[in-house]
Amino acid sequence: MWRMINSVRAALRFHDYKPKPLSFGSASRWIKQFERKDRKLAVRLLNKVIYISEARTRDILVQQNAALMKRLAAAGLPSKKLIYVQVHDAGSSSPVMLNLLRDAAGLERLGCKFVDARDSLRLNKTMNEVGVGALIYVDDFIGTGNQFCKERDFAAKSFVGTFSEFLLAPSICEEAFYQISERGIEAFTGHVHSKAERPLHANSGVFEKEEKERLELVCKGVNSKFGLGYQKLATMVVLYRNAPNTVPAVLRGSLNQTPFIGIFPRWKDLPVRKIE
Amino acid sequence: MPTLKPSQPALPQIVPAGELRHLTPEEIKPSSNNPRHLFDAEQLLELKKNIAEHGVLVPITVYQAKGQAKFSILDGERRYRCVIELKGEGRGGKGGSELKLPANVVEPPTKIAGLLYMFSIHNFREAWELMPTALSLKIVMEELGERDNKALSKLTGLSDAQIERCKKLLAFPERFQELSLDPEPTTRIPSNFWIEALPVLDLALETVPTVKKLGRDPATDKLVEKYRDRKIKSVIHFRRIMESYDLSEDEPAMRAKVVRRLEEFFLNPKLETRDGFDEFVVERKRVQNALTACQGFLAQLRRFKLKYTTDDEERKNLRRALREVRDYCKSLEQALVGSDDPEAPHG
Repeated sequence: MWRMINSVRAALRFHDYKPKPLSFGSASRWIKQFERKDRKLAVRLLNKVIYISEARTRDILVQQNAALMKRLAAAGLPSKKLIYVQVHDAGSSSPVMLNLLRDAAGLERLGCKFVDARDSLRLNKTMNEVGVGALIYVDDFIGTGNQFCKERDFAAKSFVGTFSEFLLAPSICEEAFYQISERGIEAFTGHVHSKAERPLHANSGVFEKEEKERLELVCKGVNSKFGLGYQKLATMVVLYRNAPNTVPAVLRGSLNQTPFIGIFPRWKDLPVRKIE
Repeated sequence: MPTLKPSQPALPQIVPAGELRHLTPEEIKPSSNNPRHLFDAEQLLELKKNIAEHGVLVPITVYQAKGQAKFSILDGERRYRCVIELKGEGRGGKGGSELKLPANVVEPPTKIAGLLYMFSIHNFREAWELMPTALSLKIVMEELGERDNKALSKLTGLSDAQIERCKKLLAFPERFQELSLDPEPTTRIPSNFWIEALPVLDLALETVPTVKKLGRDPATDKLVEKYRDRKIKSVIHFRRIMESYDLSEDEPAMRAKVVRRLEEFFLNPKLETRDGFDEFVVERKRVQNALTACQGFLAQLRRFKLKYTTDDEERKNLRRALREVRDYCKSLEQALVGSDDPEAPHG
């Protein structure tokens, strides 16, 4: 009964997770994999997930962007002076977020410009054309900030003109703020993901020490190298289109979902469908 | 269930230009051009010691970009870095106060002024990246309508040779320039590739009818493909092609062979640069070196006036050495008899 209630709850909460929509059955199977003594702990961990649905993602981006645009307009930068920048390859989260925001906020009609940070030539030309303005990077989730800063630093080699820099993202980990701020980039986010709210993070006190150790062990069993996610960030934010690679392995499951099924597998974790 | 806590930075305070302020390092944004590698560590250490003792005496120069809360540095990056390091070491200002930097707040620079500042940074930069520099130089040339190397050199601080290299890069269509701006180092075509390839392309388009017919851009594509396939193992190897051509200047038969090989180099994706052109360069160089050595050897022997040697022992040693030289030269001379013609009788 307990398992059924929690499975229904999870299925209702995470039903629109894109890589693998969660059903009652798959939630129930996920819980069942744990040893009986660990099941309650696993569900408690699941309840700590900060899930950002598509609608919520859109709302956050639109709201934060409106606040930013208002501020920039007051500073003398109308929308045609704003360059929105996607920071990763096509198909990754940044362009998806940018498209979502562009359509929801009607940025194209407002005369905003759009550039891929990897397209240095276009970035250089657009900045040259605009002269004075703002660069607004858009992404879904910033973990350590390393990847974002690497992309931004590469793009910075082609900067021209006087531009202020901003980052729009539904969620940003507290670890990333130092690096981002060091570059003078100001972040507008729907959620600052603190270490304290991640039950498996070394600095968190959400779980008792023994509980934490037990779940860490299970995570290591699923993925010996990245049990607590990339750089042991153990983040709990899951976005509708993909879980970050910083979430604990019990949430993602094993590669190809065997032997351990994940509740939030990343696209890369799912088995590849054979083309007949 | 966890809730989302939105976060927005505080509204920037607009500071009028011309004001002297005392700013904390957190209120300052370093240059976008990542100048961490710019400074000599020893000099920086000296400055840091000085600042630790007396504080920052000379104000830095900053501006506030529109909409930005932080102040961007125009001048004083080294002082800023020192204060950051001192703060990281837990050092404070006089009387235990927070370490601050006096800063003259000025108007944001114009586009050209900003670019010229970037050039001044790059002039001290170790890792010189040519393509972004070329793009900036292009803007300077367009905005100021200046193309003269000397004038551009004065404006940017770049050397004449650097400007020439940038101009060579800009001579390539943008789709090729983009290849040198690839964020992936593994697939990026180095800027030097274009500089070294340009004379080869010009030569091929001028001397090889099939390449001329192919056109400049498709011919460039062929070189890029070869580079990616490791058939041009180093961009320096382009020089072998030019050297081969130059060395054959006075020999029409050899020149024709080099041109044929150049055609093959463009049309045959499998022909590697050194495989194609070493025979014209290495062999000839070796022979030329040998010829110079022979001439030098004879001139030196003549200068020594050895025929007046009187000491028996010395004469004996000298004759033995000369016999050795003679024997080697005779055997070499015999080995060199013959020609490339397979029909010719071997000596």
